[in-house]
Amino acid sequence: MLRKGEAPGHQTPPHLHKDDGDDDDDAPSGFVKLISAEGFEFVVDKKAAMVSNTLRNMLTSPGGFSETREGEVRFPEISTPILEKICQYFYWSLHYSSGKETSEFQIEPEITLELMMAANYLDT
Amino acid sequence: MGAVCSRKRSQLVHEDDSFQTSSRFSKTSSLKWLLLTLPRSNSDVSRKGQGKGPGRCPSLMELCVAKACEDINKYSSFSVLPRDLSQQIFNELVASNRLTETLLETFRDCALQDIDLGEYPGVNDAWMEVVASQRHSLLSVDISCSEITDSGLYLLRDCPNMQSLACNYCDMISEHGLGILSGLSNLTSLSFKRSDGITAEAMEAFANLVNLVNLDLERCLKIHGGLVHLKGLRNLESLNMRYCNNIADSDIKYLSDLTNLKELQLACCRITDLGVSYLRGLSKLTQLNLEGCPVTAACLEAISGLASLVVLNLSRCGIYGEGCENFQGLKKLKVLNLGFNNITDDCLAHLKELINLESLNLDSCKVGDEGLLHLKGLMLLKSLELSDTEVGSSGLQHLSGLRNLESINLSFTLVTDTGMKKISALNSLKSVNLDNRQITDVGLAALTSLTGLTHLDLFGARITDYGTSCFRFFKNLESLEVCGGLITDAGVKNIKDLKALKQLNLSQNVNLTDRTLELISGLTALVSLNVSNTRVSNAGLRHLKDLQNLRSLSLDSCRVTTSEVKKLQATVLPNLISVRPE
Repeated sequence: MLRKGEAPGHQTPPHLHKDDGDDDDDAPSGFVKLISAEGFEFVVDKKAAMVSNTLRNMLTSPGGFSETREGEVRFPEISTPILEKICQYFYWSLHYSSGKETSEFQIEPEITLELMMAANYLDT
Repeated sequence: MGAVCSRKRSQLVHEDDSFQTSSRFSKTSSLKWLLLTLPRSNSDVSRKGQGKGPGRCPSLMELCVAKACEDINKYSSFSVLPRDLSQQIFNELVASNRLTETLLETFRDCALQDIDLGEYPGVNDAWMEVVASQRHSLLSVDISCSEITDSGLYLLRDCPNMQSLACNYCDMISEHGLGILSGLSNLTSLSFKRSDGITAEAMEAFANLVNLVNLDLERCLKIHGGLVHLKGLRNLESLNMRYCNNIADSDIKYLSDLTNLKELQLACCRITDLGVSYLRGLSKLTQLNLEGCPVTAACLEAISGLASLVVLNLSRCGIYGEGCENFQGLKKLKVLNLGFNNITDDCLAHLKELINLESLNLDSCKVGDEGLLHLKGLMLLKSLELSDTEVGSSGLQHLSGLRNLESINLSFTLVTDTGMKKISALNSLKSVNLDNRQITDVGLAALTSLTGLTHLDLFGARITDYGTSCFRFFKNLESLEVCGGLITDAGVKNIKDLKALKQLNLSQNVNLTDRTLELISGLTALVSLNVSNTRVSNAGLRHLKDLQNLRSLSLDSCRVTTSEVKKLQATVLPNLISVRPE
């Protein structure tokens, strides 16, 4: 059974989406669903998801990933709290690059290594 | 902390580039040194530091690595992590100087591939157990400048896949410890700079290292007689025996079959023309350095047969005119250093066919205006060193067609102001050295078309405040030396807008005051500043507070006190690593 998880994308003020979208012609519009090992769904902007090189490849490769068509990606090896943290990082990164973010990205010590392995997988 | 581990390196004379001439007394030392000697604590991740304004966004991986290092005491072992991840944590701990013997324990059995502890403080035998626990995974180790002894080195016998090992300046390793090397037959790169452990007998262990491509034995003074053990190392491409001053002709004989050699460094060996003759068959040799060897021009006969040679250094040898005709065959040469020889104009005639030359060093040779005629056709020349020669203004006309010339050194020559217009059309010039008392404002004014200049040395030239107005044409200047004594604060006004300046030397201009420091307070790119022997005082030091990139500051014979300078260093300019007066 799928349950809706809290999607950081929904917390972002709408005007930010607009600004971010304007300065990147390649950015696909719309959202993508990231699903954790436990089945939690995180709906994030495609632009945010593409901070990850792995996801970028999946979402932009012309031929083939089924993920591209269905707009959802499953991560059977990434737990919910880690995937949530990763989604937060995606938005933090977008804001950092546009100069809107100046605070540090917080990582809780107990998840550092697990997050690191996920970051490695997602190439982000 | 970075300085701690540099103790041994500082004793070296020409560490890297033998084509550079040594800097003269009281002149600013190499800028390159200042830029390269960054303390380890300025590592990648910590420098990227979060929230410090614009710049590349740190990746999540970098943030995790930084966080893991920050909380390093919370971990007991990283052996659960994939090895490429524990490797990143390890590298960051080393780079930020936070690795200790205790913390190293968390990396036991992590299957790390690279352990670079070169110049890391405190490394001793106790560390080697964890190093060796990486066993078959371990591919490269650097323990240069460590206190490792024979027994520490011995532990590496468990790591037979090792491809690269550097033990430079390891004083505690003796000839008895080197036997272990014979088991490391996968080594492709081995470096043992300045080791007394490398004796002729100990070198027997090298005979097994048939995969060796790079071997560095710089400053090993006991290897005479040991090169016989190298003669089977047919894969060797690079051999460095600089400053091995016991190496004689009889040793070189054993190199004659190493036909894959591409680079051979023999500076300051005791090699004569006979020794060079053994190199005749090294047809792949591209770089040969014989600086300071007692060879004569007769060795050129053997060298002229080295058809692949691109870089040849014969500086400080005993080269006279006779035999120089053999230069003609070296058609591929791009870099030729003949500095400090008895080269004359006649000899230069034999260089005119070397049309691929990009760099020619004739420092302190007996060449003059007529000799330069022979360089006229060397159209690819980028760098020409004529310091301390008899070249005068009329000779420079022969250079006026060298469109690719980027660097020319005319210090201590007979060149005067009238010569300047002959080089004024060389638009590629980036670096000009006119450290020479005959050059005045008039000569400088002739060069204002050289707007691409990045380095201008007018150390001893007689430039006045009037002449400084020319500086506004040189907006790209990164380095400027004007120390003829005639500049006042008024002249410095023409320097204050040279925003690209990294290195500025205004010493010896005794009339400069604190106003000068105020004027240059906006040159925030400055890495090195020298205002020695001026009237600068304690009161002026406050103007330096924005020069946050400053790493070297010289205020000798100024009206400053050591305590005030120290205070400046401690409170305002933390990046200063070299301060005078000390």
